[in-house]
Amino acid sequence: MPPIHRKFKSMKKIKIRINDLNCFYKKKLVLKGLKGEMEEKAITTIMGPSGVGKTTLLMVINRLYESIPDCRAEGMVEIKLDGRYIEVHKLPVTTLRKKVGMVFQVPNPLPMSIFKNIAFPLKLSGVKDRKYIKKKVDQALKDAFLWGEVKDRLNDSALELSGGQQQRLCIARAMIMQPEVLLLDEPTSSLDMEAALRIAELLKSLKEKCTLVVVSHYASLTRRISDSVLTLENGNLTK
Amino acid sequence: MNRFVEYQIKIFCWISGIALICAIGILLAFLFYKGTSSLNLSLIFGKTRPLDGLFLNTEVIDGLFPAIVGTLLLILTSIIWAIPIGVAGGIYLAEYCNKKWKPVFNLMLDILAGIPSILVGLFGFTVSVFLHKHLSEHIYPCFIISSLALACLVLPYIIRTTEQSLVNLPFFIKTTGLALGASRLQNILFILIPYNLSHIISGIILAIGRCAEDTAVIMLTGVVAMAGIPNSLLSQYEALPFYIFYISSDYNSQEELMRGFGACIILLSICVFLFALSYIVKRKAAMRFATHT
Repeated sequence: MPPIHRKFKSMKKIKIRINDLNCFYKKKLVLKGLKGEMEEKAITTIMGPSGVGKTTLLMVINRLYESIPDCRAEGMVEIKLDGRYIEVHKLPVTTLRKKVGMVFQVPNPLPMSIFKNIAFPLKLSGVKDRKYIKKKVDQALKDAFLWGEVKDRLNDSALELSGGQQQRLCIARAMIMQPEVLLLDEPTSSLDMEAALRIAELLKSLKEKCTLVVVSHYASLTRRISDSVLTLENGNLTK
Repeated sequence: MNRFVEYQIKIFCWISGIALICAIGILLAFLFYKGTSSLNLSLIFGKTRPLDGLFLNTEVIDGLFPAIVGTLLLILTSIIWAIPIGVAGGIYLAEYCNKKWKPVFNLMLDILAGIPSILVGLFGFTVSVFLHKHLSEHIYPCFIISSLALACLVLPYIIRTTEQSLVNLPFFIKTTGLALGASRLQNILFILIPYNLSHIISGIILAIGRCAEDTAVIMLTGVVAMAGIPNSLLSQYEALPFYIFYISSDYNSQEELMRGFGACIILLSICVFLFALSYIVKRKAAMRFATHT
């Protein structure tokens, strides 16, 4: 393939571009001059030793680091929206986080019913059409392989679900706004192997709908689902 | 640690716990022993027929009914002033306050919490004198001044409990809403406050207790012995703590003193009722928004 075509193809597939990213926690430099790219509609897994800044990197992408006192970031993080790259800091933060969802290491369902949990982001966006909300919630639960297990108890508390079900619920909740990127911070680390495998299957199915960036410690799981693996070590993001 | 020392500490803890329960038990037993004999409808309604008094058809002059109503209204009004300001203050300190200013606010809050209630009463009295001179000659120490002064007194409890409960939430809960695209205010209103409702109610319970018992503040800001039920926010009023204070310091007969003990039991019952109500709300809130950390 001629170089120009290769370049064009590569540019087309990149969803997130990071360049010269520094992140500080108090005076400590957590991420130093970080560069990297993440492919569109693919699963990119970020691996690396503990404390190297993997979670921080995810939080920089959706600007959640701004909620951490004494944390600041410099450099460029761009995300491709509607065909053009936009610097994340130039987007309104609530818009960015609707486009870039995040799922945490510990499942964090809200202490309300399963239905209300999934519908919560729609409520935040001011959606009031009940039929539309019901349709979206049902679809999100089906997409998260959770429909069969909870369809008869949508009004039960989400806290009554098992750990694996709670994590799938959190993924469904994040997916209901149809984000373009979904960040997952060690989504299987607090689950047993069976639940972890179900999450892995779920993530594989979701990559058709959005770009997934997963922080994971499990090499076996990573190999099973990832399209590309980036290693974060000594401030460098390498393939 | 030496096993003997550990054993001694354990014994000391047991003794402290038992001493606390005994102290409360003795106090209640004494109160009920002294006051039960005077507890009857005439203590509350005097010579007025109870139903007439209850439905305000006839003014109760020689009973505690106006003081009971005054106390309940005072607690309610003070709490109504204090809750929004206290919760908002706690949210401000936990979520919005600049790092530079936070120690200043904390210091101010500690000072406010430590101010003797008589000073708060004096402040309320000064405000009413000021308003009387500069705003309207019809303003005297009255119900609204008392309730505002009491609200100032209990604000630190509500602010502190709200702030602490918000600060101590785990990071992944604090950011749940934010990660879903909620604005900061939405995150506070829809997630942080519901999560902390039971803690916030704990602060309110403390505040209710303080409002019910404080005499120094109301003595200087509008309570009188024979005012009847307040008919406006600018009226003077009666309250049980003040009745207990003046009857115990200035009683003419043993029977009057017994009426004072009866008033104590009624005040205690009001507090228990309000605490129980708050506790039920707290339990419901805790069940609904139980944390899972």
